[in-house]
Amino acid sequence: MNTPQRLQHLYWRAGFGMSPKEWSSKKKRSTQKVIDELFKNAHQASQRKVVKNGNGIESSEMAMASKKEKRKENKIRIGSHNTDWVLRMGNPDESALLEKMTLFWHGHFACRTKVPGWARNQLNTIRKHALGNFRELVLAIARDGSMIRYLNNQQNKKRKPNENFARELMELFTIGRGNYTEKDVKEAARAFTGWSSNLKGDFVFRKRQHDFGQKIFFGKKGKWDGDEIIDMILEKRETSEFIARKAYRFFVNDKIDERNVEYLARVFYDSNYDIEKLMRAIFESKWFFDEENVGVKIKSPIELLAGMIRTFEVEFRNPAALIFIEKALGQVLFDPPNVAGWAGGKSWIDNSTLMLRLNMANVLFQNSELNLKIKEDFKAQKRNKRKRKVQASVNFKPFYNLFKRENEKLLLKKMGGFILQTKGQLNESTFENFIIKNNKEDLVKTLCLRIMSLPEYQLM
Amino acid sequence: MKRRNFIKASTIASTSVMVPQFLKGVNSENIARSRQGKNLVVIQFSGGNDGLNTIIPYQNDRYYKNRPTLGIKANEVLKVSDNLGFNPAMASLRSLYDEGLMSIINSVGYPNPDRSHFRSMDIWHTASDSNEYLSTGWLGRYLDSNCSGCQSPHHALEVDDTLSLSLKGVEKNGFAMSNPNQLKRISDNKFLKSIVHHHEHEHEENVEYLYKTLADTHASANYLYQKSKVHKTEVKYPKGAFANDLKQIAELMTADADIKIYYANLGGFDTHVGQKNKQARLLKTYSDAMSAFVKDLKNNGLLDDTLIMTFSEFGRRVQQNASGGTDHGTANNVFLIGGNLKRKGFYNSAPDLKKLDKGDLIYQVDFRKIYATILDDWLDASPTQILGKQFEKIII
Repeated sequence: MNTPQRLQHLYWRAGFGMSPKEWSSKKKRSTQKVIDELFKNAHQASQRKVVKNGNGIESSEMAMASKKEKRKENKIRIGSHNTDWVLRMGNPDESALLEKMTLFWHGHFACRTKVPGWARNQLNTIRKHALGNFRELVLAIARDGSMIRYLNNQQNKKRKPNENFARELMELFTIGRGNYTEKDVKEAARAFTGWSSNLKGDFVFRKRQHDFGQKIFFGKKGKWDGDEIIDMILEKRETSEFIARKAYRFFVNDKIDERNVEYLARVFYDSNYDIEKLMRAIFESKWFFDEENVGVKIKSPIELLAGMIRTFEVEFRNPAALIFIEKALGQVLFDPPNVAGWAGGKSWIDNSTLMLRLNMANVLFQNSELNLKIKEDFKAQKRNKRKRKVQASVNFKPFYNLFKRENEKLLLKKMGGFILQTKGQLNESTFENFIIKNNKEDLVKTLCLRIMSLPEYQLM
Repeated sequence: MKRRNFIKASTIASTSVMVPQFLKGVNSENIARSRQGKNLVVIQFSGGNDGLNTIIPYQNDRYYKNRPTLGIKANEVLKVSDNLGFNPAMASLRSLYDEGLMSIINSVGYPNPDRSHFRSMDIWHTASDSNEYLSTGWLGRYLDSNCSGCQSPHHALEVDDTLSLSLKGVEKNGFAMSNPNQLKRISDNKFLKSIVHHHEHEHEENVEYLYKTLADTHASANYLYQKSKVHKTEVKYPKGAFANDLKQIAELMTADADIKIYYANLGGFDTHVGQKNKQARLLKTYSDAMSAFVKDLKNNGLLDDTLIMTFSEFGRRVQQNASGGTDHGTANNVFLIGGNLKRKGFYNSAPDLKKLDKGDLIYQVDFRKIYATILDDWLDASPTQILGKQFEKIII
């Protein structure tokens, strides 16, 4: 692999692909230097909070609005947190790595929330710790209002423990199935009794509901509280393996190479769960750039959209159209299918999602109408087809500038190399009847649309 | 180039250009083939249908005590047994009941019920326990298992634009199509046809998977389009999208399409506010469409080989709320309709309104027993393999 190819791979996995400007400015730099820049930018950006759309009004202050209006308003505001975030992922001036890490943890600590302010707080919490320490991140999530509600921990009381949070903490967030007993779940649940939140979504420790008694967790006796339970879970190497495996699936390959995962788990554990160390171990490994790990992952709907936005500076007149596309493709931010998150991989693909994915470039570039109905509302009984016009504008110039001086014979190869991560050769004859050759710009544009309509574009 | 020109230029060779290859390559032998095998039709009520106002325990004082305004008066109930009857909007379904074409299973649910729409629907789709998370559906796993004829994705067809989790397997998926003409128009994209044609085998698994899905989509789109033209029903269906979905299913079945499982949806059952009229409208839509559908199948000699299962992700609380509606509950009734039911009428006794769990019904029949029976008796598959554990069968 040559350096530009390595950078493309890095940028797809650590972010959402390269914008033409990034490509021009970085293609000559060393991989290590670019990795260092990615981390540096991410750390700077992680200090900034997402505040947009909060307007300082929390739902509790909207008492005058009717319940229905409030629900509608909340839906719109959650929707704008969603679309703001997708646009941030697609914005080359933002830190791609930080957004990608946040997306990873957002899927890991999967949580559905209906209160916009709470959703924003959770997102800020994840951003803050996304490249920090995993222990801090788990502790913060255990105190997050949305998560407490989602996993019923506000109902976890001394007299009547609710195990939901304690169970998912172990099964899905940290150590994984098979490494604890049912008894451990029960005892951990006791340690998290009284961990609740107030109406603003802020963490509240309800002393009177907390069980201060002795618990036996992982065979150890003590008056454990929630923090100590988390520490004891993290003391087990299995936790570092569980997270390393998940990160490997997300950033490297759905197919696991056990040796690589073992190595990552060791780095992660030995660094005391430093997430940056784990991520550097991935991006700085030789095997990360092995052919078998390049162009083999099916992009999630969000990665697909953010990637297109990033490459072509797509702007939406009505960003809510993005949510409609997310729904049709099966990934809505702040709305995972369940606490296990999005399954990913081949599960993104069926006949309906594939056709929409292959047409997505046409949709964005041509303001197409999406003639689809979406399964969503349990309430509304609108069975009439909803046509959604996606009004987007594209800045094609930076992309065109990359290729305007390219020899026509090499154009397909060069453009394919920029747009696609797969290694197969593109065949001129595939495109023959589907491009317009009037002038260079038409040629580049139509060819670009065609390449983005290939199944290969679904991979990264 | 100006934007307008660009749009013009790029549409020239784009999706809007289509040449329907009508009936090209129809396998007429296939169309004429005499039909064989059984069909399953699954109807999903989304939102949590209020089972207690669907099949009404009109003799039960507790029902009326819990639902002072929402309860359906005994003299309005379409009585079919000495303690149960249909919602007055369901006259046409009641006729099916009277003809012995219906079996109603009361109090269907699962242990530790979840009251979230999404999660509970997930559980019904994946057939998981309530603390277990699966990313494949029970019918998807049926497609994965060694069922004969599962090669083509349209073997399990959802009449909708998007595919439900129920129909997603590990290796195989069902097929989503809301309208054959629209599907044909989308898949008649010349460029996409050309790339399938030009594609040479690669070894990377996911590239192959995407190309195969694309090629299958083209093939299924053509197949379904042709099959949809074979037979036009003579039965008059009510207006509306749901009835139209059932009509399409009946036409494909009559054309002997190579489809084993059909899946259709009716949404809007989340009636927290002003339930009475909303639910009545939905139940009428369902009943009238179902009545036409059953008549259609009967006319074409298909009813004995068809089983129609209707479910919802949960029922509603026994007590009505303050807004003339009901909130999320637990156990609910499941309808089975077909010409060959072993146990007609009510499968079990009415829900127990005395013994509740914090105001909610306690389930009597695990829904996975119904799945297990359908998989074993109706689809000739191995229920234990597909459901991951053994469930006692019931009589269907």
